[in-house]
Amino acid sequence: MQLRLEKRAQPSRTMLYAAPILAVLLTMVVGAILFSVIGYDGIGAVLEIFTRPLTNPLKWQDLGVKAAPLIIIGVGLSIAYRANVWNIGAEGQYVAGALGGTAVALLTMKMQGPWILPAMILFGILAGMALAAIPAFLKTQFDVNEILTTLMLNYAVVQLLYFLLRTVWKDPMGFSFPKTPLFTASQSLPYLWPGTILHWGVPIALLVAVLAWFVMSRSVFGFQVRVVGSAPHAARYGGFSAKRAIWLVMLVSGGLAGLAGVLEAAGPFRQLVPAFPTGYGFTAIIVAFLGRLNPLGVVIAGIVLAISYVGGEVAQTTMGLPSAATGIFQGMLLFFLLAGDVLVRYRVRAVSTRASGETA
Amino acid sequence: MGTDQKPRLELSGITKRFPGVLANDNVSFAVQPGAIHALLGENGAGKSTLVKMIYGIMSPDAGDIRWNGEVIRVANPKAARKLGIGMVFQHFSLFEALTVLENIALGMDAKIPARELEARIRQVMDQYGLKLDPHRTVSTLSVGERQRIEIVRALLLNPKLLIMDEPTSVLTPQEVDQLFIVLRKLAAEGCSILYISHKLHEIKALCDTATILRGGKLVDTCDPKVETSRSMAEKMIGGNLKSIEKPQGRSLGTEKFVVNRLNLPAIGHFGTALKDITFTVRAGEIFGIAGVAGNGQTALLLALSGEEPVDDAGAITLDGVPLGTLDAKRRRLEGLAAVPEERNGHAAVPDFTLWDNAVLTARDRLGLALSGFIQPRAARKYAGEVISAFSVKATGTEAVAGSLSGGNLQKYIMGREILQKPTALVVSQPTWGVDAGAAAAIHQSLVDLAGAGSSIIVISQDLDELLSLCDTLAVINGGRLSKPMRVSEADINEIGLLMGGVHGTPQETHIESGAVHAVTA
Repeated sequence: MQLRLEKRAQPSRTMLYAAPILAVLLTMVVGAILFSVIGYDGIGAVLEIFTRPLTNPLKWQDLGVKAAPLIIIGVGLSIAYRANVWNIGAEGQYVAGALGGTAVALLTMKMQGPWILPAMILFGILAGMALAAIPAFLKTQFDVNEILTTLMLNYAVVQLLYFLLRTVWKDPMGFSFPKTPLFTASQSLPYLWPGTILHWGVPIALLVAVLAWFVMSRSVFGFQVRVVGSAPHAARYGGFSAKRAIWLVMLVSGGLAGLAGVLEAAGPFRQLVPAFPTGYGFTAIIVAFLGRLNPLGVVIAGIVLAISYVGGEVAQTTMGLPSAATGIFQGMLLFFLLAGDVLVRYRVRAVSTRASGETA
Repeated sequence: MGTDQKPRLELSGITKRFPGVLANDNVSFAVQPGAIHALLGENGAGKSTLVKMIYGIMSPDAGDIRWNGEVIRVANPKAARKLGIGMVFQHFSLFEALTVLENIALGMDAKIPARELEARIRQVMDQYGLKLDPHRTVSTLSVGERQRIEIVRALLLNPKLLIMDEPTSVLTPQEVDQLFIVLRKLAAEGCSILYISHKLHEIKALCDTATILRGGKLVDTCDPKVETSRSMAEKMIGGNLKSIEKPQGRSLGTEKFVVNRLNLPAIGHFGTALKDITFTVRAGEIFGIAGVAGNGQTALLLALSGEEPVDDAGAITLDGVPLGTLDAKRRRLEGLAAVPEERNGHAAVPDFTLWDNAVLTARDRLGLALSGFIQPRAARKYAGEVISAFSVKATGTEAVAGSLSGGNLQKYIMGREILQKPTALVVSQPTWGVDAGAAAAIHQSLVDLAGAGSSIIVISQDLDELLSLCDTLAVINGGRLSKPMRVSEADINEIGLLMGGVHGTPQETHIESGAVHAVTA
């Protein structure tokens, strides 16, 4: 007896949706074993990370605040990945968005008015787009691989953030700490309800996801993105330009990462500090894949990843789990997800070794 | 080769079941040593499944395979090759970025030093008259040239049984003749050949025995030299074959589709540049473009469809409207539709549903997308119309294009373009790898569209197809198009010479077929 992978006649829709669930379950099982082996209460740790954030109503707000940027960035990435454009630079575009918004904030420190926050958001989006335009230009003009250019720009932008915080943007009243002044009330994202930490970024994230879903499934733009990603020759035959699609998805994914960045700066942070980049742009890659590159799936995936963040923090305080635990769980999740995706196109079949063979 | 000799290969009671389909149902026949044995059947008749079991890719659920009289189990293709079974697949497994030599080296079970392998490859190519440069990159080769790699690869193993899956679907008469010489030579040397095809006259010309499959069952094993093409076709289809009905004595209308000095630089390193392509197609006319694979047909289709627009707007005009600079979408709006030869990934998106694939080309002309939004209801309705008008076998408009058989997908694609009532339609290899029933339906639909007054351009390497279908014919060679000739007055020898690159000028007469490079003067 041996197990063999057999190609399915058609990709399985069941497995398409079952694979993420399978990946989450496998992550929990393997995580429990892993932490047991290194001397923790493995099952307890997994329960702490994956259920405490859900059972404790106090943590729900945290979930919303963590999920919002993941969802906004993840929606953008899911659109780019649908077109086979591998934007790995969301972290940089996210920081760029915060830089764009902060630039407006620092210029309007002494002003007031309801236009300031929208202007910050606009410049945040534009900054994210501008950063994404560099790889888009290089790819469409010189066929430079966007995976490398987007990835490398992440580090360039983070260095730019450090440079600005230590020089021109440093708060003169900040005791030489590398940080900007706190944003004024006109520059801050209001809370949904007083007394909570839920800010307007949360409903914006949901709105972005629903809009993106509608555009991707119903519009010619979404159709174009899907065709370019699935069959580039067919796209050109259908009258779609691959270059145009690359530009569009890079600008959309960069713009949405920028939006997430400026919302995060104007929301939870209310200033820029060196600790601003927290890896949302990288985690959102997992979110996009876990959400099956479907904007509505991204919402669920964003919440799952937010659980791992919030739960990881809980487990740090209650069980003394290392902070790397969150990263381990997130890494395993992506690993199992990509591995599980094999089952979408293949099925596992037990065959007797006597009559075994290779698949062509 | 006495009659008392054991068959080289004998199948008895072979049965193979897939979920929902009985692909082979109790199939038994024998292939004699040195025989050229045809395996005949429509797409989906179970031919490929059967040979995959012989070649060890799959194993039968029931039944025995005997090799020289002994029952064997072919565990995998490597084991098959060890026995002396070689196979040339219809879909090649080649790495595009690697050279011919590297591809062959990768496919060898034994490690052979590159220089020695090259010497052996050259020897096999000389022995069988197969022309190929071992150092060319595969991505730059035509389909016909790629097939030669697969043949050389199989021949290097000195096979005792060679399985050929639809080998001539992309070859010219001369190339087919050449292939047949190779196959006959092999057979004379004692190698058995299992020849899968549905081109009946080829089977009549080449094969000693023919086994006909229909719906997974063996219908008949007969002598193709005794049978007529028609009688075999009817056994294959299981009904009466419809021949193309061309309205007699129809007159052609005014000049409609005019290509005037169309030039396109070579795409890629070894692509073929188009040079001063000029022809005119009248209303109701079917214009054929013959030629050996790799002589600019791909570039010509891309230039005509709008996938590769040119700088000169007037190079292509339809009813006087210049289209040269427009992209595919705008050309379609002007009434020029096209169907490329590659179905999966070019003419259709394999992962998409049939109605999504209708949106791909019909969205503007038929309003399947309005002000930037897709109209799923209209798209499903249109896809349904195409399916029923062209008898496409599919589970419905939600079926994924990649799940259809080649013939059915081609019928769907042709139907999708034809029902849009284009003023001019360019098709490339419309019946490549399509069974006889579907091919007849596609040919009839082209004749009907011409009858309705459209201009049709058929680019094909299947000369028989062009001769039976077209009113006018020209030959493309090295990116140049010959003078058009009326099919009724055409001389097959002259066409053959034109396809081989003889244009009368001394420099061009020695260009070998299939290896014509773009020459920039």
